[in-house]
Amino acid sequence: MSEPVVPDSNIGRDAAAISAPPDAIAAAESGLLEVRGLIKRFGGVVAVNALDMTVRAGDVHALIGPNGSGKTTTLNVISGLYRADGGSIRFDGVEIAGRAAHAIASGGIARTFQNIRLFGELSVLDNVMIGRHVRTRVSFVSALFPGGATAREERETRERALDLLRFVGLESAAGAAARSLPYGDQRRVEIARALASEPRLLLLDEPAAGMNPAETDTLVALLRGIRERGATLLLIEHDMNLVMSVSDTITVLNFGQHIAEGPPSAIARNPDVITAYLGGTLDAA
Amino acid sequence: MGGRRALWIAGIIGVAALLPVFVHSDYVLTLLDLAGIYAIAVMGLGILLGFTGQMSLAQAAFLGIGAYTSAWFTTHLGWPVWPAMAAAIVMSALVGLAVGYPCLRLSGHYLALATIGFGIIAQLVLINWKAVTNGSDGITGIPPPQIGPWVLDTYGKYYYLVLAAVLLCAYIAWRIKTTRVGRALHAIRENEIAARATGIDATRYKIIAFVLAGAYAGLAGSLLAHDIKFISPDSYSFDQSVVFLVMLILGGSSSISGAIIGALLLTMLPEVLRPLKSSYIMVYGAAVIAMIVFMPQGLVGLFSALRTRFEPRTPPRASAPAGLSNTPSAAGAPGAEPA
Amino acid sequence: MHVDPVANMQLLVSGLAIGSIYALVALGFVLIYNAVGVVNFAQGEFVMFPSYIAVTFLLPATAVFGTIVHWQLPVLIVYALVLVLMVGFGLLFNRIAYHPLRDRGWLPVVISTIGVSIFLRNAAQITWGSQPIVMPSLFTVDTIAAGPLHIRPQDLLIIGVTALLIAFQYFLFERTTLGKQMRATAQDRTTARLIGIRVGRIVSITFVYSALLGTISGLLVAPLFTVTKEMGGLIALKAFAASIVGGFGSIPGAIVGGLAIGVIETFGGFYVSSSYVDAIAFIILIGVLLFKPSGLFGERVTEKA
Repeated sequence: MSEPVVPDSNIGRDAAAISAPPDAIAAAESGLLEVRGLIKRFGGVVAVNALDMTVRAGDVHALIGPNGSGKTTTLNVISGLYRADGGSIRFDGVEIAGRAAHAIASGGIARTFQNIRLFGELSVLDNVMIGRHVRTRVSFVSALFPGGATAREERETRERALDLLRFVGLESAAGAAARSLPYGDQRRVEIARALASEPRLLLLDEPAAGMNPAETDTLVALLRGIRERGATLLLIEHDMNLVMSVSDTITVLNFGQHIAEGPPSAIARNPDVITAYLGGTLDAA
Repeated sequence: MGGRRALWIAGIIGVAALLPVFVHSDYVLTLLDLAGIYAIAVMGLGILLGFTGQMSLAQAAFLGIGAYTSAWFTTHLGWPVWPAMAAAIVMSALVGLAVGYPCLRLSGHYLALATIGFGIIAQLVLINWKAVTNGSDGITGIPPPQIGPWVLDTYGKYYYLVLAAVLLCAYIAWRIKTTRVGRALHAIRENEIAARATGIDATRYKIIAFVLAGAYAGLAGSLLAHDIKFISPDSYSFDQSVVFLVMLILGGSSSISGAIIGALLLTMLPEVLRPLKSSYIMVYGAAVIAMIVFMPQGLVGLFSALRTRFEPRTPPRASAPAGLSNTPSAAGAPGAEPA
Repeated sequence: MHVDPVANMQLLVSGLAIGSIYALVALGFVLIYNAVGVVNFAQGEFVMFPSYIAVTFLLPATAVFGTIVHWQLPVLIVYALVLVLMVGFGLLFNRIAYHPLRDRGWLPVVISTIGVSIFLRNAAQITWGSQPIVMPSLFTVDTIAAGPLHIRPQDLLIIGVTALLIAFQYFLFERTTLGKQMRATAQDRTTARLIGIRVGRIVSITFVYSALLGTISGLLVAPLFTVTKEMGGLIALKAFAASIVGGFGSIPGAIVGGLAIGVIETFGGFYVSSSYVDAIAFIILIGVLLFKPSGLFGERVTEKA
């Protein structure tokens, strides 16, 4: 898979002038996450170009596109790791573009990373307990007085983390160093850590990457379980079988721009999407 | 924490408390006082480097700021020792804040160098700001602390003050380490980006770590000043900062007991190695290299590795059970729901 | 303030000379950093140790382990001998302080190089004592007159040799296969290995080259000061500061940063405060870190999310 050449910035600016696709505007009222005209540049390269996307509450929403189409960049901007160069991101009606990553996380958006980012030397349990950071309060000062509220909160944190490890099927690995786990398990630890913050929106960057078919099946079941719990999912994924089977809505990106959005059945037949994948069939991507 | 471990700690504290009853040599007590004071500075460095992963090669400079603050308040302004000690802690913590804030954007080598630069500047100030520091001659006649009528003027009495301070500092470090704040600090050390995406305000927590490291060093510096009653700039050099770093790494960088053991060993080692005379420091340098090559987790890591080796019943929480759980179990994931 | 153009010219020349030394040592830092991604905190001992070896063979009499020896040899033979010894030193250093830790991140390497530094300083003290030793100059006069200026010939030698070395390095990196392999390794070790470059060998060569740069700086600077176990420490720290001021990892940055710090420090020591002259480099450093962390020539690097 070769990296497509990103168009030069002038083309990007022209395209930015084109108004948002009508279907995006129509869906706007019910969106938990509303991305409008989002722009992210790296030097002269426009990685995300006037992107519009609406993620409805309760949906599993997939963001797909060829390599280098700006999917991960979009996730990084939404989660506040990159600063947007233009456009708006509203989460539950509140503008979050420009906020610090930790503030966005405590506002209810959690994420996982394409290249897994665990706290490797720490135990699996600690990783998930850290995920509860935004839902807990013990401060430097109150930590010095054990017992009472401090002890209660610490105990609760531990119990909820263990519950989540059970949920992702990793309770037996709670004491192991996160880095010692096999790849697929590390991905599940990352998901458990993200869930620990009780997010309303969970961003997953290629959760199935590097997984074998059995692990992918487990993942699909897990994603459905997460959705049952009421979280909304926005995921980037290359495994088209997975995308087609779990998604309610798919947004297709190419060269940082939105080229299609709709339910899986419509996306699979969309000629623009097929062209974007260089004439290949979708499940070959 | 298991009851057995609590018993061990209680036992060690008991032995430490009884030491001056059996040890009457001022020489040994001086060394123990010094080791305890260094242990406090090393624990502070442990919070910054061991917990949070932020390198500092200026811990000795913070010690110096504490020592000079305490000395100046008692000898120039005639303050009693306790408020001067509090002032020393506050002053070092504030300087920690002032140094930590601009260093936030730095990490790794850059941070190491920026802190070295700060340490060198601090030492030059101590040497040249004669009105306050009395230059290279240092400050003499620093009073000993006093509890009611009881003056802590012997090394044996001072030992109890140092012991209490070490225990208090270890307790604080342990509480931080094992609760939410400590987990946040560890998360920053392990992966700052993931920590931020998990909702941890990395900026705030890094500053907390710098301030705590400064406060610990400030207390250590004040204790040192009132212990030896004379201070001069050469005790707070870059080389001393390196010694603190080595104490920490030798003990095991994120371990509190390791910091204390490291400080104790490396304060005693020169005395044990006295027969080597001048080549002692050379051996010390070689030992540092050997340690870091052969003992990556420090002494504490070495101990626990030995323990797991000789106690086969210790549950091996390695990757084995995790590997087995690889099969699709997905508890809590109910039946399929078509999209 | 009275400004004296002659004094300023003289300050400029000495500033450029000491700055050249910083630049050479900074190059040593940058080359190692580019090759292996760690900073060598024993770089100063790459300056100090060869200086001691050189004086042992240059002076009619030196005390080694408290015994007076008379090993005086001709200057060129001594220089050649020191350079050869330092090739071995560079190889050994790589083998002991870097190679065993190459997969363990930067901190263990920093600590092991600090260990080497402690070891060498004290080995030097044991071997040669704690008295400063004066290295004989190549020149018979202290200063030469050029019009109203009085300039130290050693300063001119330093500037000249540094210019030659920089030209040599440019040639090495731009025109030779070895230089291109070194650059490729610096850019991307994995790819370098894939295209058949023996990365381990390139790393060894880098350490040797860096040791030789230190050696030459030591031989050049020692006649201006004295040979002591501390001589390399501060030079190395300032050179490291210079490399960050210039833009860490950038070769032109190391050169310009070194020269700039040498000149500013010399003027600052003369006009502002001679007590704080050693702080100047670090004040500049902290200013640069605060306001332009990428340095003069560096590219802004942010970690990829």
